[in-house]
Amino acid sequence: MTVDESLATATVKLRNPDRDVTVTAPREVRQLLMEVGMHPDAVLVIRDGELLTREDVVSPGDVVEVRPVISGGSR
Amino acid sequence: MLCRRCRARAVVEVPRANAAFCGGCFTEHYVRNLVVRAIRHDRMFGHADRVLVAVSGGKDSLMLWDVLLELGYQVDGLYLGLGIGGYSSRSQAVCQAFADAHGARLHVLDMATAEGFTIPDAAARSTRPACAVCGLSKRTLFNRVARDEGYDVVATGHNLDDEAAVLLGNVLRWETDFLARQSPVLEAVPPSMVRKVKPLYRLLERETAAYCVIKGIDYVVEECPLVEGNTQMRYKGLLDQIEAASPGTKHNFLFGFLEKGRAHFPRDGVQLQECTECGSASPAEVCAYCRARRLVTLPLVTLPQAIRQ
Repeated sequence: MTVDESLATATVKLRNPDRDVTVTAPREVRQLLMEVGMHPDAVLVIRDGELLTREDVVSPGDVVEVRPVISGGSR
Repeated sequence: MLCRRCRARAVVEVPRANAAFCGGCFTEHYVRNLVVRAIRHDRMFGHADRVLVAVSGGKDSLMLWDVLLELGYQVDGLYLGLGIGGYSSRSQAVCQAFADAHGARLHVLDMATAEGFTIPDAAARSTRPACAVCGLSKRTLFNRVARDEGYDVVATGHNLDDEAAVLLGNVLRWETDFLARQSPVLEAVPPSMVRKVKPLYRLLERETAAYCVIKGIDYVVEECPLVEGNTQMRYKGLLDQIEAASPGTKHNFLFGFLEKGRAHFPRDGVQLQECTECGSASPAEVCAYCRARRLVTLPLVTLPQAIRQ
């Protein structure tokens, strides 16, 4: 019996620079952020245009964006 | 996780308030109250004033424009074309799309056309960091447009993270003149300098970004290509580490300074005069912006001679 890997993974879209990372799913957002090395206070996690909290669960097949919130330079 | 206010599913955590909110309570109550408190506490402007919001296409300035429109203020936007390639083009398009969607007025000032140079030009020919030249240009040109177009106030999207990082830098270098001037309100110097205010100084930038996502405000997420190595970014990173261990540290650092520390750094009473080239208030005969512009717009062949002088 073969296993469809997309059913056990989620896609994480990282920004600046843009790149995709695959993580195993399901898992809580807090675990996902630890795996990709991001601090929860420095990013927003977005799925289908909706914000997720650290306690929300990312399911297999989901695509989530991890968007940095720190911006610099002059204003 | 439930919203502290209405008990619906929460989408935003606010560790410094030990709270979480649903989208509606976060945007319409938590964020709006902090902006209103800033405007009222610091007497920034009233509904009879004409406000010019300096918009970059980033989350903070567009969020500020959105909140002020919703609060019923007379507010227009100003986008400054810095000439930073595709980054500037995308930023202007986002600002224009916001203005069109909200039926709001957007002024656009293109630096290459109006001033004869761009920020990359300036960065290449100045000894100052790109962000320093950019900041100087923005302060001068925002003020000039506001003054010429009859606005009462210039509002910028500086947030709590910005202000705390600037404060940290000023303390680390003991920049006493800058500490004396760091404030959410810079009073007007008639007739040349318009009042400047920072209505987002009580909000963390994670909160302004969350507001944009919840409200569906499209903003430029990519960083300016000239920002690499920016000192303020390093200070923000350091403050984030402290904040993670002790939520509320950034707030206490900034507001402790504003309430208790700033009084120890009195303004030195420098006499200002009108810049002979642009009319801005300046401690020198020619203001810092016009001196920088002269250097940047000189033909390259005359640069060595100009430097010798």
